Amino acid sequence: MSNAFYDYVRGRSETVPAGYTLAGLRAYRYLVYLGASQMVEANFPSLREQLGEQAWRLLIEGFVRQSAWTSPYYGDLHHEFIAYLGRESTDTHA
Amino acid sequence: MAGLGYRREMADWDMSLVLADFFEVAPENWIRRDRSPLHRLRASGRPVHLHGVSLNLGGDSAIDHSFLRDVRALMDELGTIRYSDHLAASGDAHQLYDLFPIPFTKQEVQRVGDRIRQVQDVLGQQIAIENSTWYTNIGDIPEPDFLGAVAEWADCGVLLDLNNIVVNYKNHGQHSLQEFVARVDLTRVSYIHVAGHEFDARFELFIDTHSETVEEQTMTMARQLQRTHGLQVLLEWDNDVPSMDTLNQELTCLTPFMTT
Repeated sequence: MSNAFYDYVRGRSETVPAGYTLAGLRAYRYLVYLGASQMVEANFPSLREQLGEQAWRLLIEGFVRQSAWTSPYYGDLHHEFIAYLGRESTDTHA
Repeated sequence: MAGLGYRREMADWDMSLVLADFFEVAPENWIRRDRSPLHRLRASGRPVHLHGVSLNLGGDSAIDHSFLRDVRALMDELGTIRYSDHLAASGDAHQLYDLFPIPFTKQEVQRVGDRIRQVQDVLGQQIAIENSTWYTNIGDIPEPDFLGAVAEWADCGVLLDLNNIVVNYKNHGQHSLQEFVARVDLTRVSYIHVAGHEFDARFELFIDTHSETVEEQTMTMARQLQRTHGLQVLLEWDNDVPSMDTLNQELTCLTPFMTT
């Protein structure tokens, strides 16, 4: 499978790789977003409400876009999220 | 009777009232957690098998030996020889915690088959691979032939998921349940999965949600394969887990009518 497939799924690219359908790729992008959103929300239950829907969506999309997750355990995603927030705030203050 | 995918949502249930005669759990959900619920299931005389999600058989990441040693230890602890994962990728070189399609090509048959062999070498035994739902894919090998060729190359078992066949047929119109099953080497099949699915209008695709009752055609095929090939059937219900009564009704429907 091509990198272009995963670039689309992560939201890094809007180019549909040859042979794949837009609908299918959109479904995969949504399912990955949903998985990340649900696990972050389970670990930080008040964050979504504090941020509001639009900021929440942008935050999770950014988290997925830069992802290089390695753990076989989905539950470890909240460690990745904390690390992501740390990187983001460093970038902002740099 | 049939098997049931055991969920943490069932932790407070009196499992002796659940009409399942075996269970299945994702090792990823239990390796670093309190496993007393699983030991209680075992103590009731019902086996607990493993069905994983993160092996990334179709991806590019190195096979995770440390994780596999933990799976091996869990199999030994639960006294099961059945461990399966999906004929799919769970990411590229990294994990994305979902399941993605492997191109149906000859090159992938060999590459993925070799990865399955590596897994089996670490575990010291065969695994089974599940035919997966896919929402878009490339490649020129018909899906049931691809599944068979990978299983042959790796010399592994097949966990035949009837719901995934139905979802793929509704979405892509290539192989009906009857056509697909007729092309599978049933001697490789370890057991059968059934589940329900939903239509998602946003993508105009049926999505494999495991959140609904099982369709009649799937039920019928499951009962038939039990009768004709002695294959066990397991119900997966992972989202919006219903009441025990509803699950028991489904489990009862999956059992072939006995003729004595």
